[in-house]
Amino acid sequence: MQASRARLFKEYKEVQREKTADPDIQLVCDDSNIFKWTALIKGPSETPFEGGIFQLAFSVPEHYPLQPPQVRFLTKIFHPNVHFKTGEICLDILKTAWSPAWTLQSVCRAIIALMAHPEPDSPLNCDSGNLLRSGDVKGYQSMARMYTRLAAMPKKG
Amino acid sequence: MEDESATNSHDSICPICLGPLTQDSYLDHCLHKFCFNCILRWTKVVSSKHQTPPSSVKCPLCKTDNFSIIYGLDGTSFQRHYINTNLQDCFVLSKGHRFRLQCYYTQQGFLEDIFNISLYWKSRKYNQPNNWLRTWLTREIQALTQEEDVDIIVHHISGVVKPLWTSKEQKLLTKEPEKIQEEFMMSVSEAARPFLGARTDRFVHEIQLFLASGLNIEAYDAVYIQRLGWSSPGVNTEVSQNELIDRTTVIPYLYIFDDDSDGNE
Repeated sequence: MQASRARLFKEYKEVQREKTADPDIQLVCDDSNIFKWTALIKGPSETPFEGGIFQLAFSVPEHYPLQPPQVRFLTKIFHPNVHFKTGEICLDILKTAWSPAWTLQSVCRAIIALMAHPEPDSPLNCDSGNLLRSGDVKGYQSMARMYTRLAAMPKKG
Repeated sequence: MEDESATNSHDSICPICLGPLTQDSYLDHCLHKFCFNCILRWTKVVSSKHQTPPSSVKCPLCKTDNFSIIYGLDGTSFQRHYINTNLQDCFVLSKGHRFRLQCYYTQQGFLEDIFNISLYWKSRKYNQPNNWLRTWLTREIQALTQEEDVDIIVHHISGVVKPLWTSKEQKLLTKEPEKIQEEFMMSVSEAARPFLGARTDRFVHEIQLFLASGLNIEAYDAVYIQRLGWSSPGVNTEVSQNELIDRTTVIPYLYIFDDDSDGNE
């Protein structure tokens, strides 16, 4: 417990210090609980998520960083590896391939990379995965773009 | 020193706790650096996920397979923690090995009134071959290196000792005993140092002690142990003499074999 707290404080300090280092990621720690974090990430360019701002919720376990944090999308997203209802993310580094050298910041980077490079063969969102697996890239992109507009962009006017 | 400076090099930061390194340790293949406790805990987490614990751990930074953690580096020697020493193919030190290793933590010289090294040289007892030396060397080097297969090192060192007993006997007789001892110490030390590091000097002393005793291993151990329990400045006094004599206990301060060193879990 103490080890995870100490480590999270280090990450907090690092995030404060390098706020401008990665303009695509904005990590914020809960005011009252250092084990709860949220992040705002920018949808990567040249993807259907471009222009969207996506919110992630982190729940950090007691034995972090020996155990990976739990992360899910709070913003609705149409992506093969994200559960459409719960926002759960299927990403190896959050499960079996976790390494204690990852940080919350680098997990965000990995999620941005996953948005740009979906893995349709291990889908949590079967509709999305099936579109890509059947080769309907256009169909996937337009669905994904629609949900980006609906859920991840500030309302105009 | 300058932990607070923001531009501090990443060299002194542990990638697991992100704090300054405490007890620097390296993985044996990729040589990435971590706190000893951090990397040890991580290897335990990895092991606990497998039914049969793997004998290697992937580096958290580069995913290279590593088989041991190197720590306690002081410039001349280091300690080594194998990822899973309970595996069958790993070498586990016996009580005899541990006893010998323990001897290296005692102060040198408390046996010299029984086994007189200088008398051994002066009376030219070195001419008599010692049939137990090879066995003694094997155990000694296994204990010090914590490796099972030490044949090559044993062969190498006994090759340095053997000329005393054989070929150059005539030539040796014309030399001063002190000179012979000095040469012996030099060549043994030279042969052993690449493998034993900082423990070489003590090893050179111990090998002479064993040769000077003229005893077989059992008898030698018995005398050694008796003296250890009787008056030994370097030994933990909590170990009673009886325990030492029947050798049923593990010497408690040899904590390097104790895997459960992480107290705050």
